[in-house]
Amino acid sequence: MSVVETARVSTLGRLWMNRQLRFACLTLPGALFILLFMVAPLMSIVVFSFWRTESYNLISDWNLDNYRVLLGDPTYLTFLWRSTVMAVAVSVICLIYAYPVAYLIAKHGGRYRLILVLLTAAPFLTGIILRVTAIQHILGPIGLINMALTTFGMMPIEALMYSNVASAIGLVYLWVPFMVLAIYLSLLNFNFELLEVSKVCGARPWRAFIEVTWPLNWMGTAIGIVLVFVPTLASSVTPRFLGGVDGALYGTILAHQFGATGTWALGSAMGVVLFVLSLVVIVGIWRAVDLRRSGFTGEQA
Amino acid sequence: MTAAVLQLDGIVKAFGAIKAVDRVSIDVGRDEFFSLLGPSGSGKTTLLRIIAGLETPDSGRVLINGEDVTRLPPYARRLGMVFQDFLLFPHRTVAENVAFPLKMQGAAPAERQRQLDWVLDLVHLSGLEARFPHQLSGGQKQRVALARGLVSRPSVLLLDEPLANLDRELRKEMEIEVRRFQIELGIPFIYVTHNQEEALTMSDRMAVMNRGMLEQVGPKLELYEKPRTGFVAAFVGSANRLQGEIRGIEGTVARIDWGGSEIFGGAPAGAVVGDRVNYFIKSERIAIAPAAAAPMAEGHTRLAAKLRDVIFKGQYSDYIVALDGGSELVVSGPPALEGLKPRAEVVLHWAAEAADVFAAEAT
Repeated sequence: MSVVETARVSTLGRLWMNRQLRFACLTLPGALFILLFMVAPLMSIVVFSFWRTESYNLISDWNLDNYRVLLGDPTYLTFLWRSTVMAVAVSVICLIYAYPVAYLIAKHGGRYRLILVLLTAAPFLTGIILRVTAIQHILGPIGLINMALTTFGMMPIEALMYSNVASAIGLVYLWVPFMVLAIYLSLLNFNFELLEVSKVCGARPWRAFIEVTWPLNWMGTAIGIVLVFVPTLASSVTPRFLGGVDGALYGTILAHQFGATGTWALGSAMGVVLFVLSLVVIVGIWRAVDLRRSGFTGEQA
Repeated sequence: MTAAVLQLDGIVKAFGAIKAVDRVSIDVGRDEFFSLLGPSGSGKTTLLRIIAGLETPDSGRVLINGEDVTRLPPYARRLGMVFQDFLLFPHRTVAENVAFPLKMQGAAPAERQRQLDWVLDLVHLSGLEARFPHQLSGGQKQRVALARGLVSRPSVLLLDEPLANLDRELRKEMEIEVRRFQIELGIPFIYVTHNQEEALTMSDRMAVMNRGMLEQVGPKLELYEKPRTGFVAAFVGSANRLQGEIRGIEGTVARIDWGGSEIFGGAPAGAVVGDRVNYFIKSERIAIAPAAAAPMAEGHTRLAAKLRDVIFKGQYSDYIVALDGGSELVVSGPPALEGLKPRAEVVLHWAAEAADVFAAEAT
């Protein structure tokens, strides 16, 4: 009995020692989860994008009409272009805003720096609709700013009321914590003494930033840009709440396909286009990160 | 000494209530290798950072070639500096690291290349231009750091414990190399270290710092041979520190009671009988002999002891001896002395002038 048991255990033990098998056992649950909840829906979107919709029903009639519409009808291209411009603008504003914030916290935050970084993300606790509504209450016609202006007999600022500028402000407010966090985490591993070295070597502060700080934190910065760019490109709620009649973006139209118009197939195709565009941006940014030039050596310095 | 290249004039720097640097004035000449020696927290690194411009002194002036640079930022001082942790730019190749100061100073590409070739040849790094710092050994990294400090031919090179992270073998080799660079370039090196051996090997002159103040400044042999304070006597060289009380003074020689043993040393200025003193005797100035063969000389300290252990060091040995009272002394002598085995009875003797005696500070 015990001999058999020992033999069985050692067989199991031997199986466990098999690296590939062990790797498979450990990764299987996670892989299944991703397959079931991420890859499968994505694949279904891809499949739907080649079907068509008729009176709110998906019909498996394989065709390319959806893509023909998307790439042929200037309306859709215009919205895609607007969303891209918006995503670039919001990313740039977030970057300019987040870098000094992350830098100050990482360098001078001392023992409060974790708290400070978490505070920048505090609005996340309230949910996206509430946050966008809050912005609406500040920027809108009867919002804080314009109410104050009219109270004092001044003209309200048109640009803040249901416009792309308002959308941009809202989107920056929504996603800037991601950028702060990404840059902050990168700066945590940055050796600020290198800046002293470059100063002794004759670099003025801004030059030291360009030569040392920026390249050595470019990877974290790039992650921050992706984290802001991708959700902005797909944003639908924010432009709907803040953008007004003329502020519709690609994401707004996309959401529309799954709501009022019920053209699921076209909506799926729009989703695929969005996905491909996001991938192109991510790959582009990834190619821009030269691991050796970002000081990444795979070992702790 | 030729005209001073670097002058420090009454430098004071406090961090909160702690005076990191306290009224320090030093002149360093053109061809000097000058070491700042002191334990950690003595203010030597702060002083170096003040010279570099990385800290601003509360008062006092820093002059380089006669020009007051106290308020100049580091990038305007045109100094070279070598840091303890190498601090190479990890995203730059060896060539880019070394040429960095030239690039910042806006040197023309041809000039840049010429200086780069010269300095890489000087530090024996030719051929490694395209490597990244993580592909280098510790010694190579140190050479890159040195090359980066020297490439723009600065008027002064500052070195902050540059060899502390190297293993012993490499350190010995680099000590000689660094000294060679200094002689070849003919510029002053200001070398901060807590390692007295390094300071003694390389320096022309050195300063011993303690609690932000200069204890003594002078040629290295002078500090070694004639320490002016107890701190210097304890810190430079390997000395036995004995605490005793003056029992009698005859001329310049004091007779001192050390835990029941009678020892002789030069009387500190103004000392009187009954004063407590700190008595330092360097281990190599004590002669050790088997008890039977001991000679006797007037005014010499002579102590009977028992050999406890012999620590073989190669070129010499450290003999640990125990006295009757239980105290121990370290004596350095030839590696294998005839008839000296552990537990052997021995006699120690040294001349009164071999010891350095200082009045004990009131505690």
